[in-house]
Amino acid sequence: MLDHILSILIFFPAFAGVMGFMINKESMRAYGTAVAVIEFALSLWLWFAFDNNVSGMQFMEHIALVPSFGINYILGVDGISLFIIIMASFFTMIGIASLSPTHSIKNMIITLLFLQMTMIGVFAALDAIVFYVFWELSLVPMLYLIGAWGGPNRIYASVKFFLYTFTGSLVMLVGMLFMAYFFYQATGVWSFAILDWYRLILPESFQLWLFAAFFVGFAIKVPMFPFHTWLPYAHGQAPTIGSVILAAVLLKMGTYAFIRFSLPLFPDASVFFMYPIAILAIIMIIYTAMVAYAQKDIKQVVAYSSVSHMGVIILGTFALNVEGISGSIFLMIAHGVVSGALFLLVGVIYDRRHTKLMSEFGGLAHVMPRYATIFGLMLMASVGMPLTINFVGEFLSLLGFYQQSHILTLLAGIAIVVGAIYMLTAFKKIFYGEVTNEENRNLPDVNKRELLALIPLSIITIWLGIYPAPVLGPINNSVESVVQLMHNKATSHEAKMRIPNVTGVVITKTTTKEAH
Amino acid sequence: MEKYLYIALFAPLVSSLFAALFTTTPKKQFVGIVASLLIFTAFVSSAILLTHILGTGEIVHVELMTWMATGNLYIPFGFVVDQVSVTMMMVVSLVSTIVHIYSIGYMDHDSGFNRFFSYLSAFVFSMMILVMSDNFAGLFIGWEGVGLCSWLLIGFWFHKESATWAANEAFIMNRIADLGMLIGIFLVYWNTGTLQYDGAFAAFANLDHATLTWIGIFLFIGAMGKSAQFPLHTWLADAMEGPTPVSALIHAATMVTAGVYLVVRSHELYALIPNVGLFIASLGAFVAIFAATMALVNRDIKRVIAYSTLSQLGYMFAAAGLGAYWVALFHLMAHAFFKALLFLGGGNVMHAMNNELDPFKMGALGKTMKGTMIMMTLASVALAGIFPLAGFFSKDLILEVAFVDHHFIIYTVLLLTAGLTAFYSFRIIALIFHGEDRHTALGFHPHEAYKFMLVAMSPLLILAIIAGFTMKMPYFEMVTELLPATEYHIHSHTTYWIMTIGTQVFVLLAIFFAYKKYMCSSVKVPDGTSKMEKNFFYKLLINQYYIPYFYEEYIVKAYKALSVVFWEQIDKKIIDASVDGIANIFYNTGKNTRHMQSGNLSTMLKWMVAGTVALLSLAVVFGLAARYSGEITIILSSLGV
Repeated sequence: MLDHILSILIFFPAFAGVMGFMINKESMRAYGTAVAVIEFALSLWLWFAFDNNVSGMQFMEHIALVPSFGINYILGVDGISLFIIIMASFFTMIGIASLSPTHSIKNMIITLLFLQMTMIGVFAALDAIVFYVFWELSLVPMLYLIGAWGGPNRIYASVKFFLYTFTGSLVMLVGMLFMAYFFYQATGVWSFAILDWYRLILPESFQLWLFAAFFVGFAIKVPMFPFHTWLPYAHGQAPTIGSVILAAVLLKMGTYAFIRFSLPLFPDASVFFMYPIAILAIIMIIYTAMVAYAQKDIKQVVAYSSVSHMGVIILGTFALNVEGISGSIFLMIAHGVVSGALFLLVGVIYDRRHTKLMSEFGGLAHVMPRYATIFGLMLMASVGMPLTINFVGEFLSLLGFYQQSHILTLLAGIAIVVGAIYMLTAFKKIFYGEVTNEENRNLPDVNKRELLALIPLSIITIWLGIYPAPVLGPINNSVESVVQLMHNKATSHEAKMRIPNVTGVVITKTTTKEAH
Repeated sequence: MEKYLYIALFAPLVSSLFAALFTTTPKKQFVGIVASLLIFTAFVSSAILLTHILGTGEIVHVELMTWMATGNLYIPFGFVVDQVSVTMMMVVSLVSTIVHIYSIGYMDHDSGFNRFFSYLSAFVFSMMILVMSDNFAGLFIGWEGVGLCSWLLIGFWFHKESATWAANEAFIMNRIADLGMLIGIFLVYWNTGTLQYDGAFAAFANLDHATLTWIGIFLFIGAMGKSAQFPLHTWLADAMEGPTPVSALIHAATMVTAGVYLVVRSHELYALIPNVGLFIASLGAFVAIFAATMALVNRDIKRVIAYSTLSQLGYMFAAAGLGAYWVALFHLMAHAFFKALLFLGGGNVMHAMNNELDPFKMGALGKTMKGTMIMMTLASVALAGIFPLAGFFSKDLILEVAFVDHHFIIYTVLLLTAGLTAFYSFRIIALIFHGEDRHTALGFHPHEAYKFMLVAMSPLLILAIIAGFTMKMPYFEMVTELLPATEYHIHSHTTYWIMTIGTQVFVLLAIFFAYKKYMCSSVKVPDGTSKMEKNFFYKLLINQYYIPYFYEEYIVKAYKALSVVFWEQIDKKIIDASVDGIANIFYNTGKNTRHMQSGNLSTMLKWMVAGTVALLSLAVVFGLAARYSGEITIILSSLGV
């Protein structure tokens, strides 16, 4: 069973989703929770069986699909994807378990199970076409979630989300086709396998174009400034569960793809584009943090704060050294946990008051002390307090990038100031002061169903903040091999200098032929 | 000994978690008692560690576990108890024990009693991490932890707008400085390859001067935030919105001295870059007199004491900047005792006066509050630096340091500040406890604080009196195992005696002047009509040199306005509008060209003809271009294309 655990992880939720049509509406929640719990247990088993000392791919599966064009169903996990897969199944589980009552809950749970399939598929796929299929398929359940259960402006938001990211992905697809064609020219065989592509050294001029094509797809997904405007609409209109999954997992597809594709395939182009991307990342950090400060709606604050934090992740990725990339992957997990929790927390008051405007609240710390405490914890994690999960990732990302540029890191470090400004202001508006609005006077504190999701997230926030080693260790091993691969493949002198040589990791290169 | 290290470190954490269990329940007296006992345990453990170090000179160093390890970076949770950290541990645990006990009385009627102890103990835990860590990352944990607790405690009465505002101000302003500190840490890592103190300090000797200077500057920026040095000082006075025990513990005795501790801890770095040291000393001297002038006119006893703290922090930085690290640490310790005492006394007064803070509305409180009066007076004498109290030994030493090192400008500034310190301290003493009774007319019925609160304060009183002459020599011998043992002696005996006696006389005159001015019967509650209040300098000082006003008008408001512009104008109207614009181009093209396919035969025929004509014309143009391509090339090239 362990040989096919990745396939099981991908298709079990989809299969269960199809079966779900036959389940009685009343027992749907229990059914969905059970499926998600089994799925999460399977992902934990994956972690348990995962060999921390291996830096390469594990649990590989290989089924030929279109052999003449080198399109195969190839799966595998390494330290980079493992924890994102676990996080995806974790969030689906607590998302379904803590789902607040809504109309047609049966369809929603089925949608979520399909979404889970696509998410895990993206992170486990090692073939570009399979990756692309899951990548695009993930848009469909999300489109449903926003379009069917969203707010008043949901159609506009969901169509915008779909078309915008879909357009970007098409450019990425063209890039993939070109990449496969170059591989064919260099080796005489077609292949869409990412691991095969890793062995191909492209001339820098090719790399630049391909990097740009992939970049469009990834940057819209992340979303990077100035391609971020779909996100506030999507979050603003999506139901709580949609926002949680979007922020926690779907956004990570973009940053994950940078590490899986852009860096190892195009090391010279990565170095070439490092400064422009870092500048975009810094604009993301500061600009969106300021926009977040100007918001009146608490959910929009969290949405823009997501963009701001994704900026730090991008910066860490383009540090191009082990510290920075490990930090950025860790921050992906951390941001998933914290922003997921924040969206859940926003959902708690939205369920009670059906408004998200901060001016409607005030003094909630008097009436909902437990809620205020958990919100306070997540707030502190979000601003990067040490011994919370976010700090580890943020610290390592910035530390890593400091090797590349002093002044840009100083600018990016403003994140810790502007992040505190919008978060503390929002907290003050909602929780501090006297209760001014009569409707807030008797709000019930968080209930058991909500705590079911919030308490595990709080525990993870602190546990991985104090003891990040179980996650950071495997990440570190895989990142070291990625960095070494980049160093070996780099052709330009600058790239060789910028990407450190990680000693002790030996990567065997079989193909060094250049594509022409 | 490791056992005691862990007890000293984790007892406050246990205390905090224990109190946290009761945060949602009504006030429980035993929570305060248990918390105080646990903090006292930490104090006892610290004392055992102190005797161990005094006895054997052995440093206790432990590594609990790995925190972060990736690439070449390795950060453990490592703790070290050496001569410097044990001094800090003693100060922190002693003052916090006293403040915990005092708070049982002070927070007696507060509904957030249990929550208060949880926060207060969490602060002690963070502070212990800060002083005990053996690396910069661990220091940063404590650094941010005390910032968090400070935020929680300033905003403890979160129903008050002013309190929550001050809490956020303190946190954000500290964050600005923390960025500097973080950059300093990055510099240390990429230049030395480690964040452990011993490894990094050993590697500093081989680094070039410019790098060291940058490291020194960035770390000091971090210190400036926590220790509220100009221009990041405004948060400290506003932080007085928190409960008074908090002001005594965090904003006087311990947290604000973290910056001084950082400089003392990094003395091996600052010894290599004396020019940065001189800058630190100059800034310290400037802050000393700058804060003292603001204290002269302020009408809020807590703010006066806060400015006094700021001024004394300036003294400490002056000493540390000039390389007299042990003197800075000694003043830190002595200051912690008498300043905490002063604040707790101020707390008694506040309680007695139903949270009234204007000393002009008090007067003659000495009759009802004899114990508090004696304690506050003695604390002020110690602060003013009168022989033989603690301040004399620590503060006069700093003056001597400046004099011996021939920094006469710094010396003069600090000497003047000593006079100002004596004046403003006794101004509030005279206004609160002596002179005419002004409070009864305003409807106040003051009463003395609980007995046990006064008893709890008494160790501080004793230390404020004896810390100077009993502890100076043993302390010197202990810390100079680690810190440079420079002794500052003025060679000429005549100069020494003139200076010492001169300073004493100057300070005594200032005290006398303060008593004379504020004890007389003509003191009234200022109502904005007196000549002094119309004076330009008075206005300048009472408005804190208009610096908070400047920050509010030109930074806070500008930031807010810019944020709104970014959102409303740029994000919505430029970025998002262009995205929608592109989408609309496609949409509108489709919408407008839809009419072509109306199904009407004559319309469609018209379009067909138009299409044929367009295609034919294109064919003709291309045909001609192909035939005359040679000529076209010549014409274009002659045009310079």
